[in-house]
Amino acid sequence: MSRKHIRNILLKEWALLFTDPNSALVVALLPFLVVGQGILYIWLAFRFAGESMLTTQVFQSALQKLVEAIPGVAQLPGNEQLLVLLLSQFNFFLLLIPTMIAISVATFSIVDEKLSGSLEALLATPVKTWELLLGKALAGAIPALAMTWLSAGVFLLVVSGLGWGDLSRFVVTAGWFLTLFLLTPAVAILSFMLGVTGSSRAKDTRGAQNSALIIIFPMLALIGIQITGIVWFTPLLILLLALAVGIADFISLRAAVRLFRRESIVVQWR
Amino acid sequence: MAIIETFGLSRYFGKNTAVEDLTLTVEAGEILGFLGPNGAGKTTTIRILAGMIAPTKGHAIVAGHRTDRDVERLHEIVGMLTQTPGLYDRLSAKRNLEYFASFYPSIEAQSQVEKYLRLMGLWERCDDKVGTFSKGMKQRLALARALVHEPKVLFLDEPTAGLDPEAAGEVRQLIRTLREEGRTIFLSTHNLNEAEMLCNRIAVIHTRLLALDTPEQLRRRFFRRQIVVQLEASDAKVTEVVKRLSFVQEVREEGNQLILSLTDSERNRPELVKAIVEAGGRVVAVSEKQYPLEEVYLRLIREGNVNES
Repeated sequence: MSRKHIRNILLKEWALLFTDPNSALVVALLPFLVVGQGILYIWLAFRFAGESMLTTQVFQSALQKLVEAIPGVAQLPGNEQLLVLLLSQFNFFLLLIPTMIAISVATFSIVDEKLSGSLEALLATPVKTWELLLGKALAGAIPALAMTWLSAGVFLLVVSGLGWGDLSRFVVTAGWFLTLFLLTPAVAILSFMLGVTGSSRAKDTRGAQNSALIIIFPMLALIGIQITGIVWFTPLLILLLALAVGIADFISLRAAVRLFRRESIVVQWR
Repeated sequence: MAIIETFGLSRYFGKNTAVEDLTLTVEAGEILGFLGPNGAGKTTTIRILAGMIAPTKGHAIVAGHRTDRDVERLHEIVGMLTQTPGLYDRLSAKRNLEYFASFYPSIEAQSQVEKYLRLMGLWERCDDKVGTFSKGMKQRLALARALVHEPKVLFLDEPTAGLDPEAAGEVRQLIRTLREEGRTIFLSTHNLNEAEMLCNRIAVIHTRLLALDTPEQLRRRFFRRQIVVQLEASDAKVTEVVKRLSFVQEVREEGNQLILSLTDSERNRPELVKAIVEAGGRVVAVSEKQYPLEEVYLRLIREGNVNES
């Protein structure tokens, strides 16, 4: 029964999501804004700061770690080394897409239902709390994930269009694929679980969004840690990271179910 | 056979008491009207009985299931109409109903959805978005949602609140149809006429249960049975004759009417009419005095307040 319930919640959420112009626009446009902005920053850094960036100790350290991970980069001229270093951050930059969509979409999912009164009617059915939360989280995470993968494809096309296509072989590595196909789904589910949990605990959409914002910081930290040379995320590290986030997904679902207080939702929210 | 039983049911929210020591029984097939002022504990009681919240003290059994223990099973066999319709405005009526129906394992959702959309007179508009519906149509759809899984017990929380008279009338007609089908309905309402029209018995609550009986018995509890004799014209001589009759306990004149309390309202009536006619009075009609349920309700609430203080 559970799979059927989750599927029904998911389909209903999609029907609502894609008939709401604001939410549909966020899901459709946000990925392209993130990709566009990322590429713009890389282009600006490459065009105006150029090789001089590599002289700073921070980037020296990062470059050294990059060369250790991908020795072929050492053979490239300095400006291309810089480009590879910057483009290599992009797989983590893409993680911002599901987290930002979660903040925009998931945080409304429970609060909106409560405010419209449909949640009370829903809680009077035999639906289980975990089915409801997982259904809502997946309903947002799946399109967010699809848009992230689409954005990755767009990114590669733009990189090629800018004449940096030859460098793709240093960027699209095992780590890139692990990030996209293991870490990103795990992060997407975590973001949406946190968004839905925030939504179930908050008394209005603003409160829900504030609580969900917290997920952005670890994503930015990943980029910060790598580009400053503290750690270079090898495929093994990314695999371990994906595993850790996967465990966090499971824990967050359990926590969300515990935090979802049917009684107070029914009694206190107006 | 009792289908709803509550045993000393109480629910507190912090220091506030919503419901106190509520004990009542509802028979299968009965419509029980649940009356009380705002904040009297009507919605809280319905939520406890529908397994939405747990009681602080006492317990309730609905269709054989403890409402605080067997919640999942309970949700399969009770239907609930909440105060607000709580529908998805951007989805069609059919899609709304299909969604809620999909959570009940024992029904064939498609045919049930069609059955209740037709019953509620919404089949022609089944593909229209609910956002385009009037309040009355939304309420009928919400009622269809509460019925789609063929619940044994139906909880209706102020089903006509906020509706215009026409829409409220439509909803009442649907409740009558459900009554004819023999459904057990627990109906919370502010509307005393509605309660009297639809309900077998009425419970008046003000945190505590103040009264539970048929509308007629509730009236008798506060007002003696009285007979109204409508005369063609008032006549002091007739009144004097009536006052002297041994079985007349009390007489009051109101325009062309005599309002009387008799020792035995049924048996004494022919003798009364005979005496009036012999005294020269011309009788237009004889009937029983009907006190509005509102007066009973207000007295109960007032007395309840006095007892509380």
